[in-house]
Order: sequence, then structure tokens, then C-alpha cells
Amino acid sequence: MWRRGVACVAMVSVVLSATASSSHASTTSLTGSITVSAASSLTDVFKELARDFRKANSRVRVTFNFGSSSALVSQVQAGAPADVFAAADTASVDKLATTGHVNRTRRIFAKNSLMIAVKPGNPLKILSLKDLMKARVVALCAKTVPCGLYAANALQRAAVVLSESSVSRGVDARATIGAVVNGDADAAVVYSSDVKAAGASVTSVVIPRIHNVTASYAMAPIGGSKNMKVAQAFIDYVMSSAGQSTLVRFGFLRP
Amino acid sequence: MSTSTVTSRIPRGLGVVGAVGAVFLLLPLFGIARRVAWSSLWEQLSSPQVTEALRLSLLASIAATVCALILGFPLAWLLARANFRGRSLLRALVTLPMVMPPVVGGIALLGVYGRTNGLLGSFLYETFDLQVTFSLTAVVIAETFVALPFLVLAIEGGLRSIDSRHEESAAVMGAGPWQRLSLVTLRLLRPSLIAGVAVAWARALGEFGATITFAGNIEGRTQTTPLAVYMLLESDPEAAYALSLVLVLVCVGVLFALRGQWLGRRS
Repeated sequence: MWRRGVACVAMVSVVLSATASSSHASTTSLTGSITVSAASSLTDVFKELARDFRKANSRVRVTFNFGSSSALVSQVQAGAPADVFAAADTASVDKLATTGHVNRTRRIFAKNSLMIAVKPGNPLKILSLKDLMKARVVALCAKTVPCGLYAANALQRAAVVLSESSVSRGVDARATIGAVVNGDADAAVVYSSDVKAAGASVTSVVIPRIHNVTASYAMAPIGGSKNMKVAQAFIDYVMSSAGQSTLVRFGFLRP
Repeated sequence: MSTSTVTSRIPRGLGVVGAVGAVFLLLPLFGIARRVAWSSLWEQLSSPQVTEALRLSLLASIAATVCALILGFPLAWLLARANFRGRSLLRALVTLPMVMPPVVGGIALLGVYGRTNGLLGSFLYETFDLQVTFSLTAVVIAETFVALPFLVLAIEGGLRSIDSRHEESAAVMGAGPWQRLSLVTLRLLRPSLIAGVAVAWARALGEFGATITFAGNIEGRTQTTPLAVYMLLESDPEAAYALSLVLVLVCVGVLFALRGQWLGRRS
């Protein structure tokens, strides 16, 4: 017991000294923590961006709140703490601007397109939006969230009408592709970046340009943020060339 | 009751905190009532998405309660009457779905009935082309899974409290095992049976986590009332509150009908 205690203390001190030494690498004087409310399709790339952002600003803490853009809008309007809002569309940011929660110009930081994700190996041979009618269960985002609106738009362009009884609605983009990755949905219409993030657990099917929809991702600081400096710095980092190349690496398109 | 004079003298601080506790539990109900748009309540509740969800919920929860009863009664019997090794362990495990997060229950069900990697699901899919997930069957399975323990505990408790002399005397008078069950045991068991069924049904009706994970969220097929509430919160909050009110009222109705039977009768 005693020995284990000593080992424990030794380990803790090693960890502490490691973190202490890394904080010497600080290059800026920015301090404080911010909460970033971001569309669920940004989950992986924003975590990576925050990691890189913190490498340059080690005394900054970035906390995330991921969800559908429309749910995040309601949360901010209801007074949820947020310093930066990053949505999968421009309309959600504009909505917060009309209610006075955003008072700086929004910036479009990335674009995304839609893709079909199917079970690995594509057992149902789904090659187009039209083939989705062959699927027993198609996962789409809820009708009110951006990825659901984009998918509806694409289906309309392709003149495909899916029976509502074969459509399972995910609460956000990640939940939607999750129905194919973890569950038994045959296909999902989600962002290309989500399909890329899912890796080998799905097979991707390209949606031709004439039917596809381009999503513009917009972000802005939330008015009344106690840490506007850090919020703005994070946005600037996302817009920087380093930030942009990370976004591209995760399957997003340049704005 | 001679002890009441002593026990009814409550320390003042305890009473205040207790009252705070009661307010804490009851205030959210007013939160719902306050947000309901009473004038358009009927309109909210008669939209197709809402009526479909209510219909599905009613259907699935009743089916789940029946399944739970069929499976739960013999299981409760075993736990109450049979002597075998590991009985207390089995009882603890049976109550697991009561305490484990429903979403974990959903994942666990996927592991069994999932089409691609499920223990039974892949067999069913490959041999019979049968897909359990994302169907009404999946909703019933998920609801049965979470409701069953409530039923088992209620029936087991009831069986334990039955004086076995009633059954013994029935045996002496020449009643066979099935006759004893239907004429004596089931009659004596009725209060706990009703309590168990009601609580299990209410739990099935409210199921969310396991359903959305295992059965998906298909309007008119697997989108039960709690799922509809969750989806409506974004598109039509007024309807979400209206539907929540319905669920609360149903639960209040169940509790009223039981009048404390679930918690044990008070004199």
C-alpha cells in the first residue's frame, strides 16, 4: 500500500512537471477559456483545430458543445454559455444575428458537399440517390437541421421521393451516419466530411454535381462573450492557412 | 397508533429541506403546464406526426407489457419459489435494465439483434431475410427490455408475501398445480400483478434511449411519443410541450390508479 502510494506520487509529479514544462512553450499572452458551439459535422476537425490552437496559445482552454446547428441556435437563445458559434449553414448564424446574439459579421470558413454512405461493400448496389428507394431504411437528418434540409434539396433535384416510412431521422449529422455505422440503416445522406471520418465502416457513393448541394459553414463570435479576444483569435485561427489546410485534410472544401 | 406522537415531531430543518425536495420534484410539472399553449392544445395534439406517435406508443407499450408479463411471470416465480444456486445473483442481474442507461441497453440489443453483427440478428437476416432493427418489433423489444424488471420485481414481491398455507390447503382439497395457480395464487397475487403491469406499462411508454438507438426514429413506424417530443422540440416546441403534458397526465393517471400500491400499501 505504502509503496503503491509512493509510486502514485512519483507518477503524478512526473505528469505535473511534464505539463509544467509544456506550458513554457506558450507563445501568446492569450488566457481564459471559451466554449465553442459547433455543428456536429465539425466534431473531429474542430477538436483537431483546438489542439493546434492550444499549441500556440497554451494558456487557453477550448470547450466544445456539438449538436445540430438548429439545436445550438435554440440553446444560445435560451442563454446557454457560448463564445463562438459555428454552423453548417449561414441561416443559423443569421438567425442569431436577428435575435441580437451575434453582432459581428459572420465568416464562411468551409464548404461541404453531400455524399451517400452505405454499408461496407455496398451490398444493395446503391449507386445514386434514386437507388435509395431500394433501401429498407435510409437515415436522413431531421427535417429542421441543415443536413436534413440539404438532403431534402438534393433528393428534390434528383426527383426522388422516399417514403417517410423508410426514413429514420437522426438528430444531427453524426447521429445520422451513426445509424449506418452502428445500426442497421442501409444508407445515409450526409456530408462528405462525415463519410470520410467514418473511414472503413462505410462505403461512399458520390452524388453527381447536378443533384448535389454545397453547404456553406459560417461562424461568428457570440455577443456578450466574456472572452471576445480568445473567441476572435480562435476564429482567426480557423480562417488561417494552417486552419484551412486542417479543414481540407478532414474532407471539407475551401470557402 | 401510539408511536405517531413521537414520530410526527419532525426536526424543523428536516421539514424545510423536505419541502424543498418536494418543490424540486413538482416544479418541473408546472414548467410543462406553463409552456403549454392551452388554446391550441387540441390542434397541436391532432397533427399527423403527433397522432401517429401516440398510436405507435400505445400499440408498442401494450405489446411490450404483454411480452413482459409472459416472460416475467415465470421468471418471478423462479426467483420467488425455486431454490437454485445463483438465485440472488440472477435477481440482481434481472434488475440491471432498471439501473443501466437506456442508451446502453439499446447498444446491447443491437449486439444481439443487429443485422450485420448481431448474435441472433445476423442469423435471422441471412436465413430468413428478416431485419429486426428499425421496425416496430424493435420498439417492442426495447420497451420489453426496460419494462420487464419492474414486472418481475412486483410479482416476485407479491409471491413472497402470499401465505403458502392457502396453497397448501388447496392442495389438500385435491387441487392440481394449475388449478392452485389459477384459483388461489393468481387471486392473491392480483394487487401486485396490477401494480407491476401498470408500472411496467408506464416505463415502456416513456422509453427513449434504447428505442432511438435500436429501433431508429422513423415517423409512423418507430417514432414513439417520447421520440416525437424530442424531435418536435426543435421544429414545433408548442407541440412538444403539449405532447409532454399527455405523457405526464398518463403517468399521473397510473399512479392515481395504483394509489401507492407499487410502494407497498399503507394502513
